Amino acid sequence: MDWYLLLAAILLPALSAALCFIIKNQKVRIAVVSVSTLILFAVAGGFIALMINSPEGNIVFHLDEGILEVISWIIKGFDLLLFSYIAYVGLKHKKAIVFVLSVLQFIPWALFEVFGVFGKVFEPEKAFVIDNLALIMIMLVSIIGPIITFFATGYMKEHEHHMKLKVSRQPRFFMILFIFLGAMNALVMTDNLSWMYFFWEITTLCSFLLISHDGTEIAIKNGLKALWLNSVGGVAFIIAIIMVNSSLKTLSIQAISASGMQSVFTGMLPIALGLLCIAGFTKSAQFPFQGWLLGAMVAPTPVSALLHSSTMVKAGVYLVVRISPAFSGTILGQIVAIVGGVTFLGASAIAISQSNGKKVLAYSTIANLGLIICCAGIGTRISLAAAMLLMIFHAVSKGLLFLCVGTIEQEIGSRDIEDMQGLFKIMPFTTVITVIGMISMLLPPFGVLITKWLAIEAAVHQPLVLVCIILGSALTVVFWAKWIGIILTMSYKPKFYLEKLTVSMKASLVALITFVMAASVGIVPLYNQFVKPQVRAFKIADKQDLGGTGMGIWLHKVDTAVYGGFASILFFIIILALIVAIPIIANRIKPSRLKPPYLCGANTTDDEKGIEFISPGDKVESVVVRNYYMQSAFGEEKLTFWVNIVAGAIIIIMLGVVIGL
Amino acid sequence: MSINNILIAVIAIIVAPLLGGLLTGIDRRITARMQNRFGPPILQPFYDFFKLLGKQGIAVNQTQMVYVLGHLFFAIGAFVMFILQQDLLMLMFILAFSGVSLIIGAMSVRSPYSKIGAQREIMQMMAYEPVLLLMVVGVYKATGSFMISGILEHHQPLIFSLPLVFLSFLYVLTIKLRKSPFDFATSHHGHQELIKGLTTEFSGTQLALLELTDWFDLVLFLGLISLFFARPWWVGIIIALASYFAEIVIDNISARVTWQWMVKITWVVGIGAALVNIVWMYLIP
Repeated sequence: MDWYLLLAAILLPALSAALCFIIKNQKVRIAVVSVSTLILFAVAGGFIALMINSPEGNIVFHLDEGILEVISWIIKGFDLLLFSYIAYVGLKHKKAIVFVLSVLQFIPWALFEVFGVFGKVFEPEKAFVIDNLALIMIMLVSIIGPIITFFATGYMKEHEHHMKLKVSRQPRFFMILFIFLGAMNALVMTDNLSWMYFFWEITTLCSFLLISHDGTEIAIKNGLKALWLNSVGGVAFIIAIIMVNSSLKTLSIQAISASGMQSVFTGMLPIALGLLCIAGFTKSAQFPFQGWLLGAMVAPTPVSALLHSSTMVKAGVYLVVRISPAFSGTILGQIVAIVGGVTFLGASAIAISQSNGKKVLAYSTIANLGLIICCAGIGTRISLAAAMLLMIFHAVSKGLLFLCVGTIEQEIGSRDIEDMQGLFKIMPFTTVITVIGMISMLLPPFGVLITKWLAIEAAVHQPLVLVCIILGSALTVVFWAKWIGIILTMSYKPKFYLEKLTVSMKASLVALITFVMAASVGIVPLYNQFVKPQVRAFKIADKQDLGGTGMGIWLHKVDTAVYGGFASILFFIIILALIVAIPIIANRIKPSRLKPPYLCGANTTDDEKGIEFISPGDKVESVVVRNYYMQSAFGEEKLTFWVNIVAGAIIIIMLGVVIGL
Repeated sequence: MSINNILIAVIAIIVAPLLGGLLTGIDRRITARMQNRFGPPILQPFYDFFKLLGKQGIAVNQTQMVYVLGHLFFAIGAFVMFILQQDLLMLMFILAFSGVSLIIGAMSVRSPYSKIGAQREIMQMMAYEPVLLLMVVGVYKATGSFMISGILEHHQPLIFSLPLVFLSFLYVLTIKLRKSPFDFATSHHGHQELIKGLTTEFSGTQLALLELTDWFDLVLFLGLISLFFARPWWVGIIIALASYFAEIVIDNISARVTWQWMVKITWVVGIGAALVNIVWMYLIP
């Protein structure tokens, strides 16, 4: 049973990928995607069931030495293929840095893995270990990922229609999507650092292929940017692997995570951990490596949704959270927290100046990833719980929001926030879902805010980090509130008609909004079932506890005294009351009681739109109100430069510190 | 949640608006006297409230009322959290929900005045939110707890350890109560460049409920002031009332400033003062 699940999680997406690529029929492809979606749901469900029934709180897969060796060599073979392909991409597009970074990865890899120059390679015999953290990631990848893929079946048809393609490139597109999902599943399940590196590189390559999918000049340029920035992380990763191998005498990720309590935090280990963090930063688009994620929005929307929510960027934070117990409470942890905090603050500030919807989402993603990394760096039980909860909440909400913006863009032909004025009248269905998605990103009692609150309460012992989070969260409110206000702007409309969407798009939106609500309402069981056991299993010195009892989440001191808490369920009752109130209120108002808004003169027409008025001198003036974007204070070019410098400096400081330790 | 708690919450929800309305009435009377006018009766806010409730319902679109209710319900929620001595930090976030709901309501209509008022309100939030959060952090550093119950159990009044935080909180209060010089989201007087800003397009019942929310907010904030002086409780209440009087004086002696100025000063002086205070709290072992 266990083995079937494991194979299904990794190889089924590979099989679907092959099917999508070989059979070029639209209907068959939709069938393949639908069936794979259901099977992946079942796989996630199967793992949850296994975990609930497992007494130790993890599922371990042992491999015989012989099989282990064979698989290792197979992976090494694929590794070689990957390096060659990436180098080929560099040559083909005449991008020297891609080629150079690929060679820089190949040399240490070959010396270490193939020729054994750095001593024996200690491959762990537990090839796959699934604990609650891995399970959370499996849920994100195998539930949100397929939903987005399913959405893509409807979206890509429209997309190619807009692109006026003669031959559909969808087979290639869906093949890469499925490979991506399989690689992500494998990445979070394996306990072998060098195998993880292989899957890590696959996701890097897939993201290049997906971002450059449309083949336009800008798409290829941004794809290459993603490739080379992530290759920097790859170089850091391979060097870290070599150092871990020689300092800990094992490549087991669990062993790295547990090494913090064994007081071996000197020599090569801190350097290895620092490099792994840098690899995580590149993958998670932390400043100064954020460029690739912003460029990724040229890709078709499902790609951005996938990269931003459940895959790719989550791989980076997964790695950092996974190894964070090893540096919990050390100077490295503090610096990691500061890197995350600075990114959170910087990205939130820049988001204010953006009027491009996708870009706002991208900066918000970067900010939230920063917060996760910040929590991982703080390294207390409460902050790690906040990090894991935020991974879940952010993935569902952001996946949803990208799909929403994609849907809106196909309808109105623009992704500019200002063009979304009055969207509620055109697309009531999508608008309501979008608004709930946005509210879930910034307001209590929804999950993301709860994690922000936990983060602040956990960060009180690190003033610098604290100030970053506090200022950042104030800025967060600004850009979301502006956007929500715009799309809800409307004049009177007697009757609403739901817009027509393809079944796959509609179903995906409904499924994701259900998950958003379910996760936030069910935060207590979610925490108790998946996060709490993991936090307790982490080997860290801090013993303050976070309890999920009654109506909400409560912070306990070591002596179990409560020093903070929030009964979130009670506030959902208010939200529910409001949701029930909406149709009642909307229907109660009689059309005769509706008036146009006050303008600076007589309104031109009697209808309730209120867009034009007659100014003194009998001229007809139209009213245009735009949001504040405050380019002079929060302009992208201006701030990016400074935040990059600050973040870059901190990372160099981090390297200096770990080398000096 | 015990029966006792529910009872306390219900009583508080009934008493708070009475108190808030009364205070607003006194505010109007004092303001009138300062301006050499006689002023309305103390109970005028209640008369206004019921008159507004009785008005014909006129709206610009069907959804406005939803946001007004959101504004009110979450303000009440925050107030109840205060009464039941819950987490102070979360209370601030709940208040933020209330504020955002009003902003969205104001932006939901096509009126330029309402929209500009909403934009300015967002700027206000951006300015005061960090100060409120820093205040909570200061309280934690002093008492070791985020729960309001923890503050009340603390052995000495907070003002001794957090004087600067208190001052910046008072400063922020002027913004939060939309008093002059920071009344640029909804101006006091209806015939200026902004008409009534944020509240231009609300009328009748909606306006009445906005008024009610303001009363809840007023009582909540005076309550937060008194937390700094808690034990004995009557000192806290006297100081809170004195602070409110100070707000009224400031309201009457100052002219409106621009929002750019406000954001700058609040971020530099407000956050600065609170931070200085918190830094020394960190240095005390």
